Amino acid sequence: MSETVFLKIDDLKKAYNGFSALKGINLTLHKGDFLTIFGPNGAGKTTLLRIISTLLPPSSGRVKIFEYDLEEHPEEFRKSVAVISHQSLLYNDLTAKENLEFYAALYGIGERAEKIKELLRLVGLYERRNSQVSEFSRGMQQRLSIARALINDPYLILLDEPYSGLDQHAATLLKKQLALLHSQKRTIIMVTHNLALGMREVTKVGILVNGEMPFFRNRNEMDADRFDETYFSYVSGNLQ
Amino acid sequence: MKQAWFIIKKDLMIEFRKKEALMSMLFFGFLVLVILNIATGIGSKVASSVSGGILWLAIIFSAVLGLDRIFAHENENRCIDGLLLSPIEPESIFLAKMAVNLIFMIIAEVILIPLFFILYNNEISGRLPMLIVIVMLLNLGFSSVGTLVSAMSSGIKKNDMMLPILLFPVLIPLIAATVKSTTELLGGAGVAKYSQWLYLTGAFDLIFFGSSYLLFEHVIKEG
Repeated sequence: MSETVFLKIDDLKKAYNGFSALKGINLTLHKGDFLTIFGPNGAGKTTLLRIISTLLPPSSGRVKIFEYDLEEHPEEFRKSVAVISHQSLLYNDLTAKENLEFYAALYGIGERAEKIKELLRLVGLYERRNSQVSEFSRGMQQRLSIARALINDPYLILLDEPYSGLDQHAATLLKKQLALLHSQKRTIIMVTHNLALGMREVTKVGILVNGEMPFFRNRNEMDADRFDETYFSYVSGNLQ
Repeated sequence: MKQAWFIIKKDLMIEFRKKEALMSMLFFGFLVLVILNIATGIGSKVASSVSGGILWLAIIFSAVLGLDRIFAHENENRCIDGLLLSPIEPESIFLAKMAVNLIFMIIAEVILIPLFFILYNNEISGRLPMLIVIVMLLNLGFSSVGTLVSAMSSGIKKNDMMLPILLFPVLIPLIAATVKSTTELLGGAGVAKYSQWLYLTGAFDLIFFGSSYLLFEHVIKEG
């Protein structure tokens, strides 16, 4: 039985002032897939995530979640997608609880108090709910950022270098959170240049170099132990 | 539109916690009024042709300081992405930010205008209702185009320098019409004498609000 296609990207291109950031990306994901896209700085990884999240319009090509086209139904994308990046998207001068209350209100979430309590417990910040974000460590901010991203119960989670700036303890906690999200059958796309952390939990792997994706495979179709050799063979000569 | 209220509430909560925008607005406005009062002679009655300009100098420059802060919180930690990712329409973000700017301006004016009348020995009785009309007309035009320009300059380095450079050339007709009508009012003229300036201010309000409302989505989103 064939799985339902969740996300389909066809010939996606993006150019800024004559520079081609993406040169025709194609990929297909099923519900529950965890794709990590590796690539050097300037490869177009963040641009790709910003297009999928509706923050940036594509120059051409199509992005679809189920039957919804990104350009025709951006509101459906925004309801279904969450972004976790090295930027927390949190207000420093609000408390953890106030931040979540604000985002829950924007998404029109009913029963907010219960949902916020549940999310703060999930990321281990319930006891610090009344502390301002400015008092949080980078790791705590990243955990709260996960709670913020889950406020609308998204189907698709986009992670842009989520391990950036995290210490070992915070990175371990993030790995556990990602494993939990994956076990909940959420579709996840992570972009990173960290080969060791990026290979955990994944079901699909892509390599993005100079706006093109020359490598896109199921993890069980590749030799994961020798992936670093594969990666460097694609990016060597393209490093900026 | 309900979501706009959540943004207003959030921005006011942050401002009343930090008092960054309001304190700098009030301090700057106070400083302008006091320094010019010393220059023109403490306690002496200043000619209405000058006092209208003094009042608006204090208000406009202090309002720019407030405008500078309305997107500052959205830029820290890229919170603006959080807003744009949510199902809220960009127009609601515009209305919320404009309302926040209006509230900051009104709070500053409630303190600075009585101070102006005390320092410059001007008669306020009988002129207050019309002064409120003039102030509100300026506030509407200033905060609508100001919100748009603030959004444009918020992503630019040296934002505090870029904001007035972008804003003032656009605002000159509105400010000129407001200063003219205030000068006539303070000089004791009847409304018929300056009604054309009020109509002009109202017309600019409509143009500024309409164009800023329509353009905001293109400014706030990346191209």
